[in-house]
Amino acid sequence: MSIMELKQVGYSYDNKRKVLRGINAEMKQGKLYAILGPSGCGKTTLLSLIGGLDSPGSGQILFDGKDIAKTGLGDHRKNHVAFIFQAYNLIDYLTPAENVSLTSKLPPLPILERLGLTKEEAKRNVLKLSGGQQQRVAIARALASEAPVILADEPTGNLDEDTARDITEILKESAHQMNKCVVVVTHSNELAREADVVFRLKRGELQTLEKVTGTKNDNRRNGRRGR
Amino acid sequence: MTLGTRAVLHTARKWKKTLLLFFLLVFIVTLVLSGLAIADAQEEQAEELRGTTGASFTVERDISTGGWSGNASTQEFLSEDMIQQIASLDGVAGYDASLITLPRMFNDKGEELAHENYSFYNYGSYNSQYHELFLSGRFELVEGTHITDDMTGSILISRELAEWNDLKLGDTLTGIYYPENDTPAVDVEIVGIFDVVADKDDQINMYDDTSYYDYSSFAFCSMDVAEGLIKGWGEDEEGISEAYFYVSDAAQLDSVIAEAQDISSINWNNYKISMNDEVYENISSSLKDTGRLITTLIVVITAVSMVLIILILSMSVRSRRKETGILLAVGIAKPAVILQYALETMLIAIVAFPLAYLSSKQVAGALGTLFGKTAANVIVTPQHFMMVAVVGAALLLASVLVSCTPAIRLKPKQILAQME
Repeated sequence: MSIMELKQVGYSYDNKRKVLRGINAEMKQGKLYAILGPSGCGKTTLLSLIGGLDSPGSGQILFDGKDIAKTGLGDHRKNHVAFIFQAYNLIDYLTPAENVSLTSKLPPLPILERLGLTKEEAKRNVLKLSGGQQQRVAIARALASEAPVILADEPTGNLDEDTARDITEILKESAHQMNKCVVVVTHSNELAREADVVFRLKRGELQTLEKVTGTKNDNRRNGRRGR
Repeated sequence: MTLGTRAVLHTARKWKKTLLLFFLLVFIVTLVLSGLAIADAQEEQAEELRGTTGASFTVERDISTGGWSGNASTQEFLSEDMIQQIASLDGVAGYDASLITLPRMFNDKGEELAHENYSFYNYGSYNSQYHELFLSGRFELVEGTHITDDMTGSILISRELAEWNDLKLGDTLTGIYYPENDTPAVDVEIVGIFDVVADKDDQINMYDDTSYYDYSSFAFCSMDVAEGLIKGWGEDEEGISEAYFYVSDAAQLDSVIAEAQDISSINWNNYKISMNDEVYENISSSLKDTGRLITTLIVVITAVSMVLIILILSMSVRSRRKETGILLAVGIAKPAVILQYALETMLIAIVAFPLAYLSSKQVAGALGTLFGKTAANVIVTPQHFMMVAVVGAALLLASVLVSCTPAIRLKPKQILAQME
């Protein structure tokens, strides 16, 4: 059964320019979804709608069969989804451990260590970490939240190739091993190749692409650093 | 993580912002507390002065509504009963009444005293300290005592007259209303000497007997002397023509007069009332000016301070828009975000306010001297502190709420999009 369902979702900026038109999609737990598309096509907007950061102009977004507009967007953000932003969006006066603890009661250190941060780094000011480390903190925050849906907006956009590959692997593990529904908006073909389902957003409409194969071989060829 | 923890962490780690707000609050609250203490000292001073200067009103027969017999008015005189009724009103602290006679005075050698006029202008008096001439400050007792209602055979004379005739306290004089007509001679002892402080310009053009008399020829005698002077001569034509009632709180003068006019047994058509409150009015106008200045300063300081704090809080919250967006995006409720910001401000205020209370206790006195107050009289009380703490906290909370509103009204996506 799908955990997230989009029914005829439409959205326009200032009620003029339509960016999303009658979008239908279903997303399940345990799968990694990638949404591709050219810049400005509405990928981030779609992700925001799924995450309850904004409301659709038309249509419904269902979580576990219930309309999130009716159950409350705040409640949806708090209990159902966790965001990973391209700009990390960490709270600058908190340490990585405290950022992770923002919405979670789980001890933050094991998650941060699993994502490659040392104890010392976990207690440092978050702004003193590198971009890759900050993105790992953002991912740790999302994973620690225990939300069944993880929404990632260009999570590898600002990162070097190796770090991007690590992050992709983490997201994949989150879907396959932690049974999360991971939805990633990306320009990265590498990341898309790792996805179980790939959507393409074009002219406001969402198309499901055939699964790209050969990802594992490509990764082996590139000497991917496992974790 | 609770909002309390977030608030504490923000306050501790953004210490530059914290210190800025902290010192600003200490400064502003110190000024406001000092202002309140000065305002209270001002009010106390005004109250004291009201009690010191007092004010009086004069009740006199209204000759314009009475008849005439030759040159003499036939308007009825003030009765003892009427004077007592008015004197018993709340707020009346003392009274005096005048039975005016125009005697000639002789020393113990039988020589008539040298003076400016044909006779003396002599007020028979119950309590000369409440006579309008003393209350208004025109005359000032410089030696001896005032005439009181338990005295007999006593008189107050001017210093000028005393010097002119080489008279001193304890000397005896003899007064005779009309020596040519063998009216009774009354012996009096000089019990007091007064100084003439004011000139007579203010009375010179009025139709008044006093217009013809120099102040040095004025005298105040006990009522028995005045009655003795007219005995057997004009008793029917003379009487108490005016009475003075002293009101200890000058600010109550109007209400006491209104109460007097409500006494139904007095036919007010035959009498008129006039207020004697120039001294209070003169002093109170300068007090009011100072009071107004202090109030204005407090209002201006408070207003400017609040604008400053609102601006700083607004800038601070505005600079935290991204944080607001992130907190909302990760599922923290709007009220929790606002409460966190409010709590941060309260954490600073909770330390700043008591410190300002302590500092204002040191500063208020010094500031008070700038407004002519004695440092010891300018006291910052716990009541001032409570008032400022409650109002200040409310204003701070309102400031936070107002500053938060623009960001909080947006959807998280809009906030984050703006930041990006």
